[in-house]
Amino acid sequence: MLRFLIRRVLSATLVLFAISVLTFLMFFALPRDPVTSMCPKNCNPARLERVRAELGLSDPLYQQYAGYMKGIVLGRDLNSAEGGHCAAPCLGYSYINSEPVSRTIARVLPVTLSIVIPAAVLWLALGVGLGMVSALRRGSVLDRLAIGFSLTGASLQIYFVGAVLLLVFTYTLHLVPVPHYTSITQNPADWASGLVLAWVTLAFLFSAIYARLSRAQMLETLSEDFIRTARSKGLPKFRVYGQHALRAAITPIVTIAGMDIGGALGGTVVTETTFGIQGLGRTTWDAVREGDLPTLMATVLIAAVFIVVANIVVDIVYAFIDPRVRLG
Amino acid sequence: MSLSPVEDIALSEFSPGTVAEPAAPGSGFVGRSPGQLAWARLRRDRVAMVSGGVLVFFFLVALAAPLIQWAYGTDPQQQFQDSLDLYGMPLGYAGGVTGSHWFGLEPSLGRDIFIRMVYGLRTSLFIALAAGVITTVIGVLAGVLAGYAGGWLDAVIGWVTDFALAMPFLIVALALVPTVSLRFYGPREAVPSSFRVAVLITVFALFGWTSAARLVRGQVVSLREREFIEAARASGVSTAHMLFRQVLPNIWAPILVSFSLAVPSYVTGEAVLSFLGVGIVDPTPDFGAMIFRSIHYLQTDPTYVFFPGVTIFILVLAFNLFGDAVRDALDPRSNR
Amino acid sequence: MRPRVAVAAGSAIVLFAALGACGKNTGQGTATDNNRTTTGVIATDPKDSMGPAAPVPGATKGGTFYVLRQPKINHLDPQRVYSFAGLSAAPLYSRFLTTWKDDGKGHLTLVGDLATTPGKDVKGDCTTWQFTIKDGVKFEDGSPITSKEIAYGIARSFDPDLTGGPTYLQEWLANTPEYDTAWDFKANKTSLPPGLTTPDAKTLVFTFQKPHCDLPFAASLPFTAPMPPAKDTGVNYDNQPFSSGPYKITKIVPGVQMVLERNTNWDPATDPVRHQYPDSFVWSYGADATAEANRIISDSGPDASAISWDGVPSTLTAAVAGNASLKDRTLLEPTPSANRLTINMQRVTDLSIRQALNYAIDRDDLIKALGGATVASPLTTLMPPATLGYQQYDAYPAGPNGNPEKAKQLLNGRTPELVLGVADDDQDTQIGTQVKNNLEKAGFKITVKTIPQDSKLDETKKKNNPWDLYIDTWGADWPSGASILPPLFDGRTIKDEGNSDTSFMNDSAINAEFDRILAMPPAQQGPEWAKLDKRIMTQDAPAVPLYVDVAFYLHGSKAGGLFIGSVFGYPEFVNAFVKP
Repeated sequence: MLRFLIRRVLSATLVLFAISVLTFLMFFALPRDPVTSMCPKNCNPARLERVRAELGLSDPLYQQYAGYMKGIVLGRDLNSAEGGHCAAPCLGYSYINSEPVSRTIARVLPVTLSIVIPAAVLWLALGVGLGMVSALRRGSVLDRLAIGFSLTGASLQIYFVGAVLLLVFTYTLHLVPVPHYTSITQNPADWASGLVLAWVTLAFLFSAIYARLSRAQMLETLSEDFIRTARSKGLPKFRVYGQHALRAAITPIVTIAGMDIGGALGGTVVTETTFGIQGLGRTTWDAVREGDLPTLMATVLIAAVFIVVANIVVDIVYAFIDPRVRLG
Repeated sequence: MSLSPVEDIALSEFSPGTVAEPAAPGSGFVGRSPGQLAWARLRRDRVAMVSGGVLVFFFLVALAAPLIQWAYGTDPQQQFQDSLDLYGMPLGYAGGVTGSHWFGLEPSLGRDIFIRMVYGLRTSLFIALAAGVITTVIGVLAGVLAGYAGGWLDAVIGWVTDFALAMPFLIVALALVPTVSLRFYGPREAVPSSFRVAVLITVFALFGWTSAARLVRGQVVSLREREFIEAARASGVSTAHMLFRQVLPNIWAPILVSFSLAVPSYVTGEAVLSFLGVGIVDPTPDFGAMIFRSIHYLQTDPTYVFFPGVTIFILVLAFNLFGDAVRDALDPRSNR
Repeated sequence: MRPRVAVAAGSAIVLFAALGACGKNTGQGTATDNNRTTTGVIATDPKDSMGPAAPVPGATKGGTFYVLRQPKINHLDPQRVYSFAGLSAAPLYSRFLTTWKDDGKGHLTLVGDLATTPGKDVKGDCTTWQFTIKDGVKFEDGSPITSKEIAYGIARSFDPDLTGGPTYLQEWLANTPEYDTAWDFKANKTSLPPGLTTPDAKTLVFTFQKPHCDLPFAASLPFTAPMPPAKDTGVNYDNQPFSSGPYKITKIVPGVQMVLERNTNWDPATDPVRHQYPDSFVWSYGADATAEANRIISDSGPDASAISWDGVPSTLTAAVAGNASLKDRTLLEPTPSANRLTINMQRVTDLSIRQALNYAIDRDDLIKALGGATVASPLTTLMPPATLGYQQYDAYPAGPNGNPEKAKQLLNGRTPELVLGVADDDQDTQIGTQVKNNLEKAGFKITVKTIPQDSKLDETKKKNNPWDLYIDTWGADWPSGASILPPLFDGRTIKDEGNSDTSFMNDSAINAEFDRILAMPPAQQGPEWAKLDKRIMTQDAPAVPLYVDVAFYLHGSKAGGLFIGSVFGYPEFVNAFVKP
């Protein structure tokens, strides 16, 4: 177990390192010069060059990269305008937002967490619930409705469902307030009502997979010998389905949930754009558009951390749920 | 950012152990291969037949686009701005639906929606199918290699898979799509739409192969320990024979399903790229771009949203249903 | 698994059916008033520069005024403000040397803001300008504003770190575009740039080596806002500007909101234009233009006292303009932002081809493609109608749909192959399609070349750019021909990159005209610029004038006192109030 963990963590670190190099190179390949946007009319090349030097963008690439990475690992000294010494993990200073990147992240990360985590709970509950019900009532009207509902979800797009929901529930019926973010510690009711449309949209689209998956797994498991044994032993239905069958059916669900949640935590740019909420995804997108390298590096790395950590967690969870899986 | 959750489904609906055993030669009553059996099951499945029929219809429409244009008599680039009001909205009923413009006119440019949808279907289906084929091929190769060879090769491929999963899709698409065309075409040369299509397919290929690779690897790992493989190994057949005659025939079912589920995810993925501004651009007719553009007219020209929206919905739904049906047919155990 | 396709498809159809029962569109609608022109003077009577500003009819104190906008304002630091949103917000929290008294109907008067008059031309040759600072003007902490703080503000605009702002004063004072090498702010923080002096706490003097008659206009831009040196936090000043206006910034959450509350140390008796009606202003970011418009239409809660800064999106105009109940909640005015199809004269050297392009253009259909009369209004002149002294003319009369036959005649059987550069975003590529189809009807062969959106501006401003045609927009910094024609067409300014003269026109006779008119007193320049405009179009045809942007805004039923500024064409907040 420990050996496995060490190996996975090492490999994940290497992934993050490669991602950071790639993002860095990619930034400079983008067809824009972050400096030119800084002098709108009457610009001249000589002054652009001075601004570029001032921002440290004219140093050789490897030097800029090394400086950035050193900041994350050891901290580094920024110039006084950027707030002086920046302790590890230093994510740098964004000239576009006029603030240290760590402050931007501290602000937008809770937003994305608030969108994704409740949505994930909702889509898992909805999806697995629908799947279980239709497996147990196989062939019934309920089964067809549940699967039809989930397939409809899987065949639609976020911005489409989002636009329709907004139009109907917010602008026309005034049932749901305009999407916004309030911290849960400040006002839980406002937090929930501001994000509920985003949760419902994500849940509707994502639950399909879980419904289909849990239905198939459930059907498969129900026909296994040990379930039949349990039933014939006279164990109550509830215990058989709830404990034995679900437990066996849950492994693949965990895999997909891990990947989905990990990916979504890295930013739900389409959702955030549709509902006008500034989370990690929107911030990454703005950073690309505005040529904001420090912010971009930070958001991309955080997204990557979520994905690799989710993968490791899935492997560990596997070992716990399914005794047949051995980590080695 | 994952392109679409749909593609992952195939991964886990095939837990190792659901692979059909190869039919023992000469033991059958009628001697039908698993493929023939699956086909027979598929033909009895009404949903499969309907969704399959819908797909065939869409493919035919896409293929016959020039023919349809000839019969319909309108060019996809032709503008009918005289039929627009001063806000650029189509005159008349329901977004300008008339006998000569079956689905009405686009607001602003006033082009015919029907003929642009026909051509858009062509672009979108081509991108999705090509991306689907490429990602499946790469995924199968990577998966078979990793699963069969094991050891360091498995570790390396596993790492690359992790890397591709964690790669910032957005940044890559944004950096790649405009930059590549600058590199290949002169500053005064128009970039042909086929090139942009190729770039999009490449972007999808870079990101999309991982789920197929993981799926296939899992299958191969479990096959490796089976008796018939061990038997073949003991009889000293070549690696190529082993892979192509023993391993691949046993995993084509999940591959096919993963393919049929990946294709619709590229159709919608392409619409997301348009949403982010790196998809297919005007004047090339394209479904993704059309959906993205039309959604803004939800309140002022619902007809413009309706036709492309319903069409892409039916297309994706048909793919999903057909994919399910194929899986059911190939793997009867999951659907008793 | 046996789902019914019909179940799913049926649900989708119900969904759509609910979206809209369609009526017949017969093409009724209101058009924009295109005849609005601007008249403007520089105040000669010092009384014009005195406060308080005339009360706004019906205005009441109190309430919170909301401004909805998608992206945050990129800079709040007055020395860096140059975006339209920044230019509208800045007067709330800062005051300048001069400012425009604007009735929102095109009648402008330039008055002194912190200064008692809009500047005194000491020698009568526009080289020495003197300003006297008003009594009783204070910062938000109650400390007095003197000429020293204004001079410090101008001095810090020389700092190359403080990017983004206009550069007129710096270049005029240093007498070179390389002003930041001519005078290094960081090394001379306690002194002032060359030519800028403060003989006493009430007096500020600009001494230029060349005449700059436009100084009073330029001084109305936010970079003349005062700043005490002790409050200067360099690039971080964007997050905490120190207020001299009627409101002070009390909270900024980047990308989410900005809150301004009353500044009790602002004295209305000193201010000729600003009011202090609402208790606070809140700029709230994030929602896109469609969401903003829908919120305002709903008119519920805080949105009732809000304006959507991003305007009514062209995709929604039909619904908004066609809705009579929204009529008194809209603002609809043409703006001074002029769009032209620039012809790269280095490549298209043949005048008859440039003239043929002018005859061929179909402005009517182009405007339809842009979203109609509430988005754009046709333009046949280089200067927009909102320029002082404007005169309407059409050097190549071809009617609203263009005259392809006339163009073909001029082309005389030739088929010029031209490359049109457009940004690769959705809107611009559609316009590319529109222009291509339009011009090809007149015998041109057009290749549409997409340029990555983020670099399109930089690339077309390069001297040796490879394209023949591209669409450019010019929003002048003050409504005088002096800030339109010379920057756009003075060939002596052409450099390797960053050109505003993107036609790369260099006509020595016209250049001489620029010098002659620029040396005239501003009040007499107006008609001269209008004449020169026509002369440039007739003689050189360096561009095809296309359209001016039209401002079309929606506000809530409780938002009052809003108008479209005559200088920039964006909503102004100096009169804003919340109806009870």
